[in-house]
Amino acid sequence: MEVLDKLLNVALLVATLRTTAPILLVGLGGSFTTKAGIFNIGLEGQMLVGAFFAVLGSIWSGSAFVGVLCGVAAALVFALVFALLVVTFRANEVVVGLALNILAGGMTISLMKAVFGTRGSIVGHGIVGLPKVQIPWARELLGSWAPLVSGYTPLVYVAFFAVPLLVLFYRRTRLGLYIRVVGEKPEAAEALGISIARIRYVASLLCGLLAGLAGAHLSLGYITMFTENMSSGRGFMAVAILIFSNGDPLRVLGGCLLFGFADAFSLRLQTFGFPSYLILAVPYAVALVALFALSYRSRPRIIRETLESMRKLLSVEPGRADADNTPST
Amino acid sequence: MAVELIGVTKRFGAFAANDDVSIAVRRGEIHAIIGENGAGKTTLMNVLFGLLQPDEGAIRIEGKDMVMADPAAAIAAGLGMVHQHFKLVPSLSVAENVFLGMEIRRNGLIDHAAQIEKTRELSERFGLKVEPTERVSLLSVGIEQRIEILKVLARGARIIILDEPTAVLTPQESRELFQTLRGFVAGGMTVIFISHHLEEVMEVSDTVTVLRNGKHVATRPTAELTKADLVRMMVGRDVSFARRRRERTAGSVVLEVKNLWARDDRRLPALRDASFTVRAGEIVGIAGVAGNGQTELAEVLTGLRPASHGSAVLKGRDLTTQSPAQIREAGLAHVPGDRMVRGVDGGASISANLLMGRQTRAPWSRNGILDWQVAASQAADMIKRFDIRARGPQDTVKRLSGGNIQKVVLAREFTNDADFLLIDQPTRGVDIGAQESIHDEIMRQRAAGRAVLVISVQLDELLTLADRILVMFNGRIMGEVDGDGADSERIGMMMAGVEAGAATGGAAR
Amino acid sequence: MSDRLRAVYGQLLAVLFALAIGAIIILMVDESPVKVFMTLLRGAFGDQAKIAGTLLQTTPILICGVAACIGLRGGMFNVGIEGQLFLGGFAAAWVGFALPLPAGVHMLVGLAVATLAGAAWVAIPAFFRARYNTNEVVSTILSNYVAVLLTSYFTIFLFKRPGGWSETPPILPTAYLPELFSFSRLNWGLVIGLVLALSVAWFFRYTSKGYSISMVGSAPKFAEYGGVNVKRQGFLVLLVSGAVGGLAGGVETLGVHHRFMEGFAPGFGFDGLIAALLANGSPIGTIVTALFFGALRSGSLLLEVETTASREIITVIQALIILSVSAQVLMKRRGDSTAGERRWKF
Repeated sequence: MEVLDKLLNVALLVATLRTTAPILLVGLGGSFTTKAGIFNIGLEGQMLVGAFFAVLGSIWSGSAFVGVLCGVAAALVFALVFALLVVTFRANEVVVGLALNILAGGMTISLMKAVFGTRGSIVGHGIVGLPKVQIPWARELLGSWAPLVSGYTPLVYVAFFAVPLLVLFYRRTRLGLYIRVVGEKPEAAEALGISIARIRYVASLLCGLLAGLAGAHLSLGYITMFTENMSSGRGFMAVAILIFSNGDPLRVLGGCLLFGFADAFSLRLQTFGFPSYLILAVPYAVALVALFALSYRSRPRIIRETLESMRKLLSVEPGRADADNTPST
Repeated sequence: MAVELIGVTKRFGAFAANDDVSIAVRRGEIHAIIGENGAGKTTLMNVLFGLLQPDEGAIRIEGKDMVMADPAAAIAAGLGMVHQHFKLVPSLSVAENVFLGMEIRRNGLIDHAAQIEKTRELSERFGLKVEPTERVSLLSVGIEQRIEILKVLARGARIIILDEPTAVLTPQESRELFQTLRGFVAGGMTVIFISHHLEEVMEVSDTVTVLRNGKHVATRPTAELTKADLVRMMVGRDVSFARRRRERTAGSVVLEVKNLWARDDRRLPALRDASFTVRAGEIVGIAGVAGNGQTELAEVLTGLRPASHGSAVLKGRDLTTQSPAQIREAGLAHVPGDRMVRGVDGGASISANLLMGRQTRAPWSRNGILDWQVAASQAADMIKRFDIRARGPQDTVKRLSGGNIQKVVLAREFTNDADFLLIDQPTRGVDIGAQESIHDEIMRQRAAGRAVLVISVQLDELLTLADRILVMFNGRIMGEVDGDGADSERIGMMMAGVEAGAATGGAAR
Repeated sequence: MSDRLRAVYGQLLAVLFALAIGAIIILMVDESPVKVFMTLLRGAFGDQAKIAGTLLQTTPILICGVAACIGLRGGMFNVGIEGQLFLGGFAAAWVGFALPLPAGVHMLVGLAVATLAGAAWVAIPAFFRARYNTNEVVSTILSNYVAVLLTSYFTIFLFKRPGGWSETPPILPTAYLPELFSFSRLNWGLVIGLVLALSVAWFFRYTSKGYSISMVGSAPKFAEYGGVNVKRQGFLVLLVSGAVGGLAGGVETLGVHHRFMEGFAPGFGFDGLIAALLANGSPIGTIVTALFFGALRSGSLLLEVETTASREIITVIQALIILSVSAQVLMKRRGDSTAGERRWKF
């Protein structure tokens, strides 16, 4: 019991929300491209350049805010190249996404060497991290539960507030509707004079925007440093979530919370002396298991359907059986 | 004049889909544009609607010169187009679909309530009954078409173009559609409708324009023309789809289907309790409006789709438990309905395509090693025998015309010595000359004692070929008609879901 | 033949274009592109030892490239070669240090176990892809991370060499892949890679199984219609691709390092995939592209020594090459591209 208490408490929930934020941001970004019918495996790279340029911007300007802007701008450039190749040149999206990820990895390391003359990581150099937002009266109203809502960096709030905004966006705005239409039935969009290419560019750029924020959160959020390949597969986990959530914001949130929890929980386990390498593998394993389990669930339900058909056969009564499908006149 | 097309030419590479076509459509008429597949009807309408840019020629709407740079320009000019393949978004509601692209917004957000209200209003005003809040994925084809028409009306179209509107409808639904169209022209609107269906053109249109090979042949008042005139103008010569002469040769039962059920991709029952037999040396036709379970029937018989119940026995083997490879081995040859997806690998050579299904058999392969020389020489033989117009066995299939691609498929399937031939849409998208030679080949297979099942949405084709015609509606076989002296009116009733017994009474409406 | 020549010409143009962009980037990080490229060239082909070094780097890229080709031809994107390489490498090392066997046999058993490990590692993603159509790109990418961490765990926690850090005990000399020359660690692995590439090319061209599999890759519905068991072929394709990926790891362990180390062969799996993509899924073409990437890698070692540029600049160049190739393949008019376009569609 004591062990459980140590494992599951407010701090764990807080840690979960914190670790959820970056993957949620990048997952919501991917929601735009998923809904627009683009399989975007390049999220990882966009996040990575976002993290790197956020650090650069922060050092140069001495402002975390400018850092975030720089990170977003870099991710947007990657998103633009992605859209250019995939939408305009009709290149294979998997190939382009993977190549951009590799480019992001090589480019950040090369630039790190060129700018700082080091390999591995950038620490210090006057990186300014994001401030923590203290919600007034949280302490008084919630007592020991206050850390649940207060004291995060701004991007955590952005991530969670983006979820309802996206729901509204897809349901009630014209752009959101068009993104869905372009993904679901491009012929329909074309026939109505909606430019598929333009919508896909917009979706890709919106995706880059959020992926850049996610990257900035990685390097300026709770730790203020950049390390080689620091996105470490979060972009790919987001893609896994997008596959089984079909890009729906609420389901993306659900999936991301699962990973945030796995992440936070495994960090907690580490303090109990489990081998760190296995612990580090937990989130990836969770992503894989979720991916497989959810595709297993959607298998053809042959048994139930056979029973249903036999029941239909036994109670054959053509007039009635057809009534549901007959075009009404 | 509502619409004038003047000297429109549209080329795709060296091929002219429209060659100097001029047409004038008067206001308040139903103007039919008729021609064979590939005559350039759809291309012409796409040019008019701004989906394609003409290489030469001009477009005038209500007497004013227009440049249709994109569909938006056409819509602004008062045109509306109902495409052959519906462009509705399944996950959206009827109202959302109707107002897609011209959403009603309040404070920047889409006002769903207002859209539903307006849709209801339109639907009542024009007599197109729909429920605005329903999700499109749950609706039937006939209703989807109403939504497409509502979309056009909501945009204030005065000139409505319909591309093959009746291809997916039952005769009864078509009749309803024609009434609606009559209502439109009575209200001062103009309707242009594309068809290759002579009967309905005669029935509904005021004026008819005939296209052939991309060229304009004639524009005349319908009343002055007979069906025979139209056929002559469409084809450029007298063609009679005369019933093929035949001997009664039906032998033993080759395929016996009993109480067969299957589901479609949405996992709804699509084939319901089908039972029939096919004998050696006879051609059995399956008639029906597209999407009434024919595809699923073909897929179940070829092992590409599991049956949910029932059996289909081919020479003593139950096909429903066998893989496609085992079924082929049992003696099936299959010409698929979706030629480019199922029938060929478009990017591969003719000989590679002809190899499919034989890659593990001598003489094409020995001990698992392919003999490409044998494959090429066999391919050369088949190219000659089936008159495939190609440069040679190495020619890439997707460079061939539709008819020639179909001949590649036929060549592969008809030379397999299979006892049972399943031919789905033998001549879809094939020009008339090739149609005849394909029909000849099918009759030869019948004479050779094969059991043949032909699925076609073109009733004329079945009337030409089949010994017996089974009619499918909503997944069910509604009845059987003898090919000799078959009555197309009666078949039409069954295609619309009227039971065989009731249909003999001579068609109520 | 002219079609193929034109395709090669197109790829060459794309490579030149990418190199030009690479040069601009090099300028931006304050280096001279001429100097960088010349250093790369010298580092790759400067003398006998350097050429051997290039071939040494080419070997795993080539074998991984063949693994990727098998997947691409069968319509499967195996992005998990990196992970299969790691597991194969570890498995071979384990056989090498833990199972004393006679010379020769020992080496063969090591390679066989590496192959099995690679296949086993991809088996679950392959099963779900074949049975439930679970996207294999994502599942194999994610399994890379698990594979790398898992082998690190094995190495550091279970089989650590006493006194060493993050490496297993050295393998017994009976398991060594014989070296080809006295002056280099270049070994029979290169020969294995070349034979593998040629036989895979032959398999796809001249066997009925190879025909069926390429049809599954280029037109799955057609193959299904023709009686090919698409699901089973898809499963086998990924399994064999993973097996070859595992073999690459075994060759690297038994031929070069003679032990398994954490991070022993970083990026070879991805380089192999890129080489296969650049070669349009042709195993023979992959021999050329793997040599090219091997030279870049080998040259980059000197680059790090002689210039201020980082060796990762070659990763940037590789990525740029794939980006320009991906755009260029489809820029050609539809009818022109027969091989390239359809291999990448899935």
